[in-house]
Amino acid sequence: MKNRVNRSAGRLSLLMFVMASLFVVPATGNELLIRITEGADSAIPVSVVPFAESGQMPEGDKVSRIIQNNLQMSGEFAPLPPEQMLSLPSKGSDVYFRDWRLLGQRYVLVGQVSNSGGTLRAQYELYDVSQEKRLVGATASAPVSASRSLAHHISDRVYEAITGVEGAFSTKLAYVTLERNADGAIYRLQVSDVDGKRARVRLESDEPILSPAWSPDAKKLAYVSFETGKPAVYVHELESGNRERVADFPGLNSAPAWSEDGRSLLMTLSKDGNAEIYRMNLATRDLSRLTNHWSIDTEPSYDHTGRGFFFTSDRSGGPQIYHKASEEAEPRRITFGSRYNARPRPGPSGRYVYYVHQRDRAFHIARTNLESGAETVLTRSESDESPSVSPNGRMLIYATKSGGESVLTVIAADGGAAYSLPASRGDVREPAWSPIVR
Amino acid sequence: MIGHERDIGDRTQPPWKSPVALSVFLHGLILVVALAGWSWTTPISDPVPPSISARLVTQAEPEPSPVVDVIDEPDRDQERQEAEEEQRRQAQEAERRRQEQERAEEARRIQQQKEQEQQRQAEAEQERERKREAEQQAAKQKAEAEAKERARQQAEEERRREEAARKAEAERLEAEQERQKQEAERQAREERERQEAERKRKERERQLKESQLEALAQEAEQEREAEERRRKEAAAAKARQARMLSESEKYRGLIRQRLMSTWYPPASATSQMSTTLQITLLPTGELASVTVVSGSGNTAFDNSALSAATAVGRYPVPDDQQTFDAYFRQFPIEFNPENAQ
Repeated sequence: MKNRVNRSAGRLSLLMFVMASLFVVPATGNELLIRITEGADSAIPVSVVPFAESGQMPEGDKVSRIIQNNLQMSGEFAPLPPEQMLSLPSKGSDVYFRDWRLLGQRYVLVGQVSNSGGTLRAQYELYDVSQEKRLVGATASAPVSASRSLAHHISDRVYEAITGVEGAFSTKLAYVTLERNADGAIYRLQVSDVDGKRARVRLESDEPILSPAWSPDAKKLAYVSFETGKPAVYVHELESGNRERVADFPGLNSAPAWSEDGRSLLMTLSKDGNAEIYRMNLATRDLSRLTNHWSIDTEPSYDHTGRGFFFTSDRSGGPQIYHKASEEAEPRRITFGSRYNARPRPGPSGRYVYYVHQRDRAFHIARTNLESGAETVLTRSESDESPSVSPNGRMLIYATKSGGESVLTVIAADGGAAYSLPASRGDVREPAWSPIVR
Repeated sequence: MIGHERDIGDRTQPPWKSPVALSVFLHGLILVVALAGWSWTTPISDPVPPSISARLVTQAEPEPSPVVDVIDEPDRDQERQEAEEEQRRQAQEAERRRQEQERAEEARRIQQQKEQEQQRQAEAEQERERKREAEQQAAKQKAEAEAKERARQQAEEERRREEAARKAEAERLEAEQERQKQEAERQAREERERQEAERKRKERERQLKESQLEALAQEAEQEREAEERRRKEAAAAKARQARMLSESEKYRGLIRQRLMSTWYPPASATSQMSTTLQITLLPTGELASVTVVSGSGNTAFDNSALSAATAVGRYPVPDDQQTFDAYFRQFPIEFNPENAQ
């Protein structure tokens, strides 16, 4: 009897155990979290469906084509060639998501452009294919002559909708080309769209032009010109074409960099016998000496705070990157990885600084994480120079050698896909990425 | 009884030496002589009854000394021849003497007749006397015999009594022995029985104990089996859970892989951003619904997560319904780019 009681008690406990275990399983199941810490390495598949057109379209690239190229150039997107598309819808109601899913697309941009009285009007919609959700639906217009600007604008909107980052396709590039002919060399300071199109020469000279730098409002360029036979710093107003020689001191006048407010320039002067960094008040032309060292201090660049700056100094023997958190602060050495690190350009977030980095006699573009000190070499070509970061921090342009000539190459700022700008004639060097123009 | 006595008495002498035999022989001899004489003279009218004459000889004549030396007695044949020779010689002698005697006998016979008459009378007297005496003797003997017999009987009785007593004693002893034996046997039996009983008792106890032990053992066995069953059940449940867990782990891995290929962390993503979605699946692995449980504050980031979750056309889920229900019917996914800027 006792035995039976025990047994039934055992059975009961067993039953309870089984039931408990049954209840326990889903409870633990709910705690099982799937954590995704890494995304696809590849670019985002996006389809820019050729826009439906009505009215007279400007010559040259179509708006949708420009958008497609922009997205491609960023390195972050992998646009589907239109010839592979199953259908070419121009409005959301015509989008069959199943088709786009079958093509492995994540986003689809559809739209239509019409020309009404010399104004291009674009209606466009961006869809998330997997969610079957419209992310953007907008209308933009521009003069027919500014169809590229319209395309860049739409590119920026698409880019921002998908990435959460302001697009930089409407910004400009300044660079210097060198053309050698029978009469000698011709240096040209040029400004173009970020895709290299719509390039316009702003200055032409027989003498070298160096170090163009954009004012924060993107309306002026500061640069070094040897046009007088010796280096001097000029400030050039783009719209009017007015230029002003702001620094023409004995010795070296070089490497101008705009302050955040656009009222002063950092520059390297050797008027006191040694290359030092000075700040010049553009209104008063007053100079403030910011470095004082027997070695060369040069190539200053304001950091994202606008108070401190990076510069190159060979005070430790070879050129290395230093940072001064403020004008009064003690310089802090940033780079240690090799004997040659120069031409610092900080990213907009303040997280990274980009520079030319020599390794095994080759010059690469590298970046250093300012928090961790970790250095990453971003390029594989061998004669890379003059890095410039896009204002959204997502892209990087630099000059490199290709086929004996200097070319400009755009890469994703984290070292992704490279996009070479269409080369104009001759060497292209000294690129400078403009701020975002609002 | 008498024969018995005589037997005892005769036992000392061989039969031919006995006085009876001798007397018979002598009488026979006398008879022969007498007969021979008779035939030559006048036969004697009344033959003496042998028994009486025999008795007379015995009575009259003294006990003769042994004629024959026992020791010298040669072998029988020679003795017989010699005896026969002797007989012949004696017969011749006896013939001569008979003739002589016959004459003497004649004279003496008359004498003798007288004497015999006298003697007969005397003898009759004697006989009577003797008879009387014999009778007396017989009576006496009888009495004696009777006494003897009585004594004997008494002795016999005594003997018998003794015998009986002995026998009785023996019987008593025997009985006693028997009794003792029986007693011993009884005791032995009782002992045996007692032992047997004890053995049986012990056996019973043992059996009881054994049965109790067996019951205990059985109980323990059952308990052990129950425990084993519980343990196995628990192990099975655990194994099932582990299997489900490992199975779920496998599918979690597959899902993670799929999401890693469908998720494009946006350019704005930082390692601090995190979006958690709640996924609800159909048993086929199709997405039933997805909601943002906690957003990152960055629309593009949240959207990238949602897009990634919905981009998975069919989630890899286990066929096992239980595992699916336990782990994959509804589960959270966190998107957090560790390596982002």
